[in-house]
Amino acid sequence: MRAGPMVRLVARSLLAPSFAVAAAILVKGYADAGDGFSAGAVAALGVMLQMLAFGRERVARDLPLHLAPRVAMCGLAIALGVLIIPVLAGGAPLEHWPPPGEKPIYIGTLELITAVVFDIGVFLLVLGACVAIIDALARARAAEEEVA
Amino acid sequence: MTFIVAPVAVLIGAGIVLALIDGTRRAAGVVAIAALTVATVMLCVLLGRVAADGPQAVVAGGWPADVGITLRVDALGAVFAATSLAIVLACAVQTVLRGVSSRITLALTVFMGAGLTGLFLTGDIFSFYVFFELAMICAYGLTAAEGTEGRFRAAFTFAVVNLVGSFLFLIAIGALYRATGTLEMLAVAERAAELNPNTALLLAVTFLVAFGVKLGLFPFHAWLPAVYLAVPAWIAAMFAGALANIGAYGLVRFGGAILPRELGVAAVAVIALGGVSIAYGAVQAMSRRATREVLAYSSIGHAGYVLVALGLGGPVGLAAAVIFSIANSLNKALLFLSAELRGPLTAGVFLVGTLSVAGVPPSAGFFGKAALFEAGVDAGSIATVVLLFVGGALSFVYLLQIYQHDRWRPREERDVPTPKEIAPRAQRTVAAVVAAVVLALGLWPQPLLAIGDQAAAELTVEAPR
Repeated sequence: MRAGPMVRLVARSLLAPSFAVAAAILVKGYADAGDGFSAGAVAALGVMLQMLAFGRERVARDLPLHLAPRVAMCGLAIALGVLIIPVLAGGAPLEHWPPPGEKPIYIGTLELITAVVFDIGVFLLVLGACVAIIDALARARAAEEEVA
Repeated sequence: MTFIVAPVAVLIGAGIVLALIDGTRRAAGVVAIAALTVATVMLCVLLGRVAADGPQAVVAGGWPADVGITLRVDALGAVFAATSLAIVLACAVQTVLRGVSSRITLALTVFMGAGLTGLFLTGDIFSFYVFFELAMICAYGLTAAEGTEGRFRAAFTFAVVNLVGSFLFLIAIGALYRATGTLEMLAVAERAAELNPNTALLLAVTFLVAFGVKLGLFPFHAWLPAVYLAVPAWIAAMFAGALANIGAYGLVRFGGAILPRELGVAAVAVIALGGVSIAYGAVQAMSRRATREVLAYSSIGHAGYVLVALGLGGPVGLAAAVIFSIANSLNKALLFLSAELRGPLTAGVFLVGTLSVAGVPPSAGFFGKAALFEAGVDAGSIATVVLLFVGGALSFVYLLQIYQHDRWRPREERDVPTPKEIAPRAQRTVAAVVAAVVLALGLWPQPLLAIGDQAAAELTVEAPR
């Protein structure tokens, strides 16, 4: 199954923008605090579009699909770290740093707070898990086509 | 406070490691067993503290109580968490000692343990749902792992039926939030008393159906025998001994603590449903030949007992529901872990399990049944006492039938082939340890009874009628 040239052109030219949009959502979400889940979903959709247009094998050559499970677990580990490090430091689980009311460090308009780190974890988890699932489905499909 | 967060964190951490390495390797077994042991010990310490000092709570993020998510553990949650995780540990040890056949099973087992632990330790209904889904998704995965057609078929049924249950649960949570404006369990319990009675009753029924599906209560039980038959014995033991606790816990928590008035209104219906479940489970169990199937239907019957105890209500009824659930989950784990073993000790171990289910002293099961009888007598309900008695008698019949069909008949005349080879000693030892716990709780039931009473007292104080 191969998509037509127009679809392939659009798919290829949308890959980079979908990652850029994902990065933007990641740091500045709907209410300004970042949204790792939507960012991960958008980035995974970008990857899925490539698979639809070019087929799994071609995409696997260009993108490191086999790393997806590891990316997901790294994301989960980061989120878990944000959960337990404050406990180890004697605070409540998931406690924010810097605490509410204090001025965080700014890079341009980007605030460096633990919530962003947590969202990066969620982003990696969602991206990795979605890509791994899409990849597994695509592989099963390819195996079926081979049999047929 | 640390002990509330630490068990879940340890299990998730170990789950991450296990997901990345090949689960059939020896190292994976060591990691899984170590994490489960550490978490179980922590939960036992937590249970001790709760028993001594009462409920413990911590608010995530250090936020004010009504802003942050509350992690809260009382006697009910602590005893369910410690029992469930100990059973998961026993099952995991048994399979690791025998050799794990699929690379993903241990990771799924540990993540399921994390979900189970989390949901018993949270005081917030939405995070309860999240942990609950984590445990259920791992259970679907465990059912399908190894990927044979029969397992896939069972996993598909399991997932579809239970997703309907989860969906109803999610709707009920949404409605509850709409009606009360909070999802913190204690606050919901307070505000639920002022709800429109129709709204509250509708909510209560939806919760009952949602947990009934998980527990395998008649008439929501259809998925249960298919799943318990398809999976290996140790996974069936985890499902019957640990995962089914979600349903029992949910019914006690949501019925006994959060919506007690509605439980009172529907008491007759709840007892009737429980009675039908008991009778149906027992009759079906009697008609089955394979041991596993008998045990699966017996689980459906035992879900009914929990419901009857809840319907009787009051501190005595709630305490009976807790004590019976704990004893029952130990019994079921023991039976599933030992039913397919052969060799020295195993017949005795299985006998302990059957006698405990039948309620013969000295076993944990006796005190489970005794607590139910006490609740029935206390409520002055002759029908319930008769029901419990008939249910107990029927369970004797189907348990002895296991011997009739599977053990005493000449091997070549058995309807279902039974294993011949002697099981490794390590596996038999695990089953023997669980049997020892069941016997120990029968000889010294004080801790079990005390924690049941404490759980019921805390629930009824929190939710004044």
